[in-house]
Amino acid sequence: MSGLSTSGRLWLCALVAIALMLPLVVASSFAVDVAIRVLLFAFIGVAWNLMGGYAKQLSLGHAAYFGLGAYTSTILEINFDISPWLGIIAGGFVAMLASLPIGALCFRLRGPYFAIATIATTQVLMLLFLKFRDFAWGAEGTTIPNLGDAPLMMQFETKAAYYYIALAMLAIGLAVTYRIERSWMGYYLIAIGEDEDAAEAIGVNAPRVKRHIYAISAFLTALAGTFYVQYIYFIDPNTAFSFNISVEAALVSIVGGIGTLWGPVIGTVLVEATSALLQSWLGSTVGGVQLTVYSLILIAVILWRPTGLLGVLEDAYRRIVRDRARPRANPLDA
Amino acid sequence: MLVTVAQAVVNGLLIGGIYALVSIGVTLIFGVVKIVNFAQGEFVMIGMYITFFLATQLGIDPLLSLVISMPVLFAVGVLMQRFLIRRVLGLGDMPQIFLTFALSLLLTNVALLLFTANYRTLETPYTDASIHIGPIYVPVAKLIAFVVAMVLSAALWVFLHTTDLGKAMRAAAQNRDVAMLMGINPDRVFSVAVGVALALAGAAGSLLMPFYPAYPMVGQVFVLMAFVAVVLGTLGNVTGALIASLMMGVAESLGIQFVGADSGMIVVFLMLLLTLAFRPNGLIGGRVR
Repeated sequence: MSGLSTSGRLWLCALVAIALMLPLVVASSFAVDVAIRVLLFAFIGVAWNLMGGYAKQLSLGHAAYFGLGAYTSTILEINFDISPWLGIIAGGFVAMLASLPIGALCFRLRGPYFAIATIATTQVLMLLFLKFRDFAWGAEGTTIPNLGDAPLMMQFETKAAYYYIALAMLAIGLAVTYRIERSWMGYYLIAIGEDEDAAEAIGVNAPRVKRHIYAISAFLTALAGTFYVQYIYFIDPNTAFSFNISVEAALVSIVGGIGTLWGPVIGTVLVEATSALLQSWLGSTVGGVQLTVYSLILIAVILWRPTGLLGVLEDAYRRIVRDRARPRANPLDA
Repeated sequence: MLVTVAQAVVNGLLIGGIYALVSIGVTLIFGVVKIVNFAQGEFVMIGMYITFFLATQLGIDPLLSLVISMPVLFAVGVLMQRFLIRRVLGLGDMPQIFLTFALSLLLTNVALLLFTANYRTLETPYTDASIHIGPIYVPVAKLIAFVVAMVLSAALWVFLHTTDLGKAMRAAAQNRDVAMLMGINPDRVFSVAVGVALALAGAAGSLLMPFYPAYPMVGQVFVLMAFVAVVLGTLGNVTGALIASLMMGVAESLGIQFVGADSGMIVVFLMLLLTLAFRPNGLIGGRVR
């Protein structure tokens, strides 16, 4: 973290301290549940943002890797008694491998048609898993056998444990992003995002860079899939390959600030907080409210602040700091 | 066997006509405005609900409601171009993709709030009627839908090739900057293109209503089909989209007949992926024709 300013380092320490303390202070299980969702979706957003944000390869199919991660670890656990701690890594590698042929197909297209192709591949995977009855339980899905408190099998009795795992995943995601942002890879990605042809003209091997970042992004997304299944103790194709996961991955990054380190985190906090508030006001029975609000937020951000809300916060912060540093000459101006 | 194949081909062609109306809309907007309208399917859904409520509340026949659903959606299209799409033109992929994508989410979920997820169906005098051509069975409602869809497609072709506005749209599609230098008003051309595309989606909705249930998510089926057809038929190519849509309808129908009832979409997606792998520029090639 050598690149951080002193105030940046202070902010980061404060944030980490608050994040670590949260489950100790907050008693309500609903609030911890919301916090876990925030961390999980912020992490998926961070994974999406690596490719979608920096290289502007706007995938709407990240549920493919979420689902592959979820299914790999669950199949290993139920059919072969292998701990999800190994399964989560295996899932990451399966997703990484799958990203190669999927990328080879989808990267033939650019912009909107890339997005459509990623939707199509995810749908194909979901339809296939609906058919796989012998080793993946077909459309009915399966519950994960509840072993009580079994840390070695990634099962815990307290929500706090899940919270800390999700927090660790988000920290890893942010650290990976931070490293990539400051490497050659990061500059290549931004160059491709700005103008792919121009990037190639100055010697960036765009297909290779895109392949690599897609593999990293897929790996991280798959970790979230395993975690989610372990958390809700259930898997079926419609949950694992849910289109909503693809949507939310992109949504939180765009709302927060596409192609920025903290954008997906800010976006998820805003989006999930709104959704939690709506749930407590209206109850969870009213279908459609959550996505209606998500889409309104998205339209508003695109029309008025396409660079995301992180920039708004930064501007506000800078204004406050500068105002404090430079006292007004005439108090009547205030 | 031969009869089964012929029957599946006929079924596929008939539904392919509806796919064509949706795909032509998508390809028209893409060709002229250079935007992919992810919400195109939701305008089919709106067309279906308009038709449904006109029929149940006022007793208007679904086919007659074409004269209401098409102008209403044309107006929606012009407003959408003026107040939404115009603001993201030239801003790059992200805002352009996610604006119409968010619109699609919004319309689906508002429909879910207003109308619930229930399927709504209409009974018309011709819903269950059918004619027999030899051993082939042809449902009347689908036949009418197919014929009207083909007439509308032909009318669009004539409009694009004979009227000044149509020619201006094709010119704008070929090269926007040169077209503007020639004195074509892009705002007007874009508004008409989006309006016409949405009117076609509305027509598809009205034509579907006698034999297809309306529900908030119904658009997804048609928009995915349209995206595949538009890639297959070459982006921006109206004739290509029409031919590809009919092919997709037949492929889906053969898939359902010979692979299994739930395999229609797999066949369609595999077609898309194979196209991307081997013919990423589409089967036909070229520009708006």
